[in-house]
Amino acid sequence: MTYSTLALCASKGAYEAIPRPKISVNLLEAKGRLESAGIPVTDARVMLIVAMEREVTLSRDGRVLIKSNDAKEAERVFDRLRQVVGLPERDPDNP
Amino acid sequence: MSRGVMLMSGGIDSPVALHFMLRQGHEMTCVHMDNRPFTDDSPLAKVVDHLEVLRARYGQKIPMYLLPHGPTQIQLMRETDRHVGCVLCRRFMWRSAERIAAREGATFLTTGESLGQVASQTLSNMRTATASVSLPIVRPLIGFDKQEIEAVAKEIGTYEISTRPGLCCQAVPSKPATRSNLVQILQEEQRIDVDQMLDDVLRHATVL
Repeated sequence: MTYSTLALCASKGAYEAIPRPKISVNLLEAKGRLESAGIPVTDARVMLIVAMEREVTLSRDGRVLIKSNDAKEAERVFDRLRQVVGLPERDPDNP
Repeated sequence: MSRGVMLMSGGIDSPVALHFMLRQGHEMTCVHMDNRPFTDDSPLAKVVDHLEVLRARYGQKIPMYLLPHGPTQIQLMRETDRHVGCVLCRRFMWRSAERIAAREGATFLTTGESLGQVASQTLSNMRTATASVSLPIVRPLIGFDKQEIEAVAKEIGTYEISTRPGLCCQAVPSKPATRSNLVQILQEEQRIDVDQMLDDVLRHATVL
């Protein structure tokens, strides 16, 4: 189970990562981990809005959206989110 | 000519609809529902630039109200059925616009909707959404297809602004309802305090 390459979303306003195959994220648990790491979170029930270096949304299906159009910054934010929440690795074949 | 309130999204359609209303001589006030954090800063920036283009074209002031919509979306996501989220969202937009109309002495509401373009723009959903307000609604683009709207947008100089990169609404459910019935929608709204939420929105309104 991995995340596909971080790529600009269709409207080119943010970077998006989608897990393959689909996963189910326990948002309550994720919220707890983020808050324990000192990261502010807004719980919208079906997604978390996470105030990191850039604003991030984490959906129940594991979809992650990072509001940045800078690839390096998006990678950095995504990797930190993955580590804090315990999400799967990025696909090593699609760095 | 009369005074109306126009809902502006930052997309391709709403500035075109506004252009037609201004061309006909109506006095328009605009409302932008600020959907952050479910989008980024780009829709607001686009609306500001659209208005600059149209103000220059028509020599009108065209005031714009900026209303916070993100907190409403969060409340809807927490308390109501996601399947009908787009309809509930639209009902809040209409109600907010109607309140601004009352403040401005406007007698009608306007949008850039055209039939069947997105989930919220089926006939069924439009009917359910607009049952939340009593003012007449004018939809100058209702029978236009996308190519026709884009052609006008290019002609009036708003197309390039609308198509700049930006983030789509993240609050749209994966399978939004394309048919809705008012009974179900009213039941969903019983889970939330609609008047209180609207009061909060209007209390935080800013005029640009």
